[in-house]
Amino acid sequence: MLKKIECFIQPFKLDAVKDALIDAGVEGISISEVQGFGRQRGYSEGEKPNKNVKFLPKIKLEIVVDEEILEMVTKQIVKLAATGKFGSGKIFVLPVEDAVRIRTKESGISAIT
Amino acid sequence: MPKEKKNVWEMTLERLDATMDALSIKPGMQKYLRQPRKTTEVSVPIKTDAGTIEIFKGYRVHHNTNRGPAKGGVRYHPDVTLDEIKALAMLMTWKCSLVGLPFGGAKGGVVADPTKLSANELEHITRRYTFEIIDMIGPEKDIPAPDVGTNAQVMAWILDTYSMDKGHAVPGVVTGKPISLGGSQGREDATSRGCVYCILSTLKVMGIDSTDMDVAVQGFGNVGGNAAKILHDLGFKIIAISDVSGCLYNKGGLDPFDIDAHLKKEKTLAGYKEAEILNREDIFSLKCDILLPAALENQITEANAASIKARIVAEGANAPTTPDADAILKENKIFVIPDVLANAGGVTVSYFEWVQGNLSYFWTKREVNLKLRDIMEKAFYETYKFSLENKVDMRQAASMLAVSRVAEATGLRGIYP
Repeated sequence: MLKKIECFIQPFKLDAVKDALIDAGVEGISISEVQGFGRQRGYSEGEKPNKNVKFLPKIKLEIVVDEEILEMVTKQIVKLAATGKFGSGKIFVLPVEDAVRIRTKESGISAIT
Repeated sequence: MPKEKKNVWEMTLERLDATMDALSIKPGMQKYLRQPRKTTEVSVPIKTDAGTIEIFKGYRVHHNTNRGPAKGGVRYHPDVTLDEIKALAMLMTWKCSLVGLPFGGAKGGVVADPTKLSANELEHITRRYTFEIIDMIGPEKDIPAPDVGTNAQVMAWILDTYSMDKGHAVPGVVTGKPISLGGSQGREDATSRGCVYCILSTLKVMGIDSTDMDVAVQGFGNVGGNAAKILHDLGFKIIAISDVSGCLYNKGGLDPFDIDAHLKKEKTLAGYKEAEILNREDIFSLKCDILLPAALENQITEANAASIKARIVAEGANAPTTPDADAILKENKIFVIPDVLANAGGVTVSYFEWVQGNLSYFWTKREVNLKLRDIMEKAFYETYKFSLENKVDMRQAASMLAVSRVAEATGLRGIYP
């Protein structure tokens, strides 16, 4: 079964996460620079929040993996993206119905391995 | 020197014995696994259209039901014998086990030639045969399906007879029934689709990621015809298609949809314009990458095995390769996807049909096909991994894996009482 991981991490954690994921067997990652806020509404500890939310820069990673390595991959992200502070990010896991590699027309797990 | 033709039951037992020895299964368990659990022989009397009485012989065999209810086809053919039905029931046990379906193996048959019987007579045979084996079958006991000489209509008659006897509709008693009676989407081309998934997985493990490959398909019936179409759609080049009348060949590629249209009109491959016409035996010696035997049993023999140039043989048909021929293919390093794996797509969608019938909740064709792919790929990679780990070929890996699971289930359940 294919699963998609969409995760949001601090930009300075990207290199460490990327390297670990490649070691874990991930064969493709897409990233984008995004802005967002979470439960802290963009305020760091010690800051005094007002009614406005603040969008902070994050990196979004999109990864499709076989269910077999899913847990290992999410564990690695949790371990390496953690900053010990608010704003470390989030991981979402989504079911993927199918995938197709355009060049070869391979589908399913073959399309991503 | 012509060898004496071995009885199909003896041949099946020989293969099983070799597998059980390779697995070091204890002698007691070996004895258990060699025997069918239940063997029933019935007489099927009918009144013919001419008003006379005819008696047909029918069989139903359960081989091993320790992993779940028995599952297997019913065939109507003049050459049906009890030994053949016993062998086929056993093969169903292994096939269901290999693919991981919660079924044991069964098979049934009636010694009759459906081409010489009217629809009315076939219905009488089917209903009386069903009645005679009615205590053996049922959604939790044994679920028949179409086989040689039977079809969705025959399943509908079995379903009706069983349901009338029980007093309520029991759609889960058969699979391969018409969609209007609870049949599954995607059943028609399930065997072909399963075979294609095996071919794609084979290419994957060989490190080939292109579909630019030449395919020869022997047989253009349900399995061969649909497989040719699916492969054609995926970009494979179908260079040859054969049936009883001959072999169509075009190095540049054939269009199976066009050939199907021709066949529907002319009832034979002969006269098709877009191809060279060769002898039907020639299909085995053509230069191609993939050979897909999808016709009858014992087609690849000692006589033609050495001439096969394909890198992959995908056994869409049941037992298309004789043991002697198999040894030659092995020697020539041809990757054989064994029948028990390559044509398991049919029974897999039968399983889906049974599940849907029991739940009274039906899936779309896309859902069926995606679930089929998951099951076929899992079975393929398990078999492939086993073959690498144990340094055996795919056929041996498949039968060792299948038999070991049934032996384990049988051991865990123990012997009653």
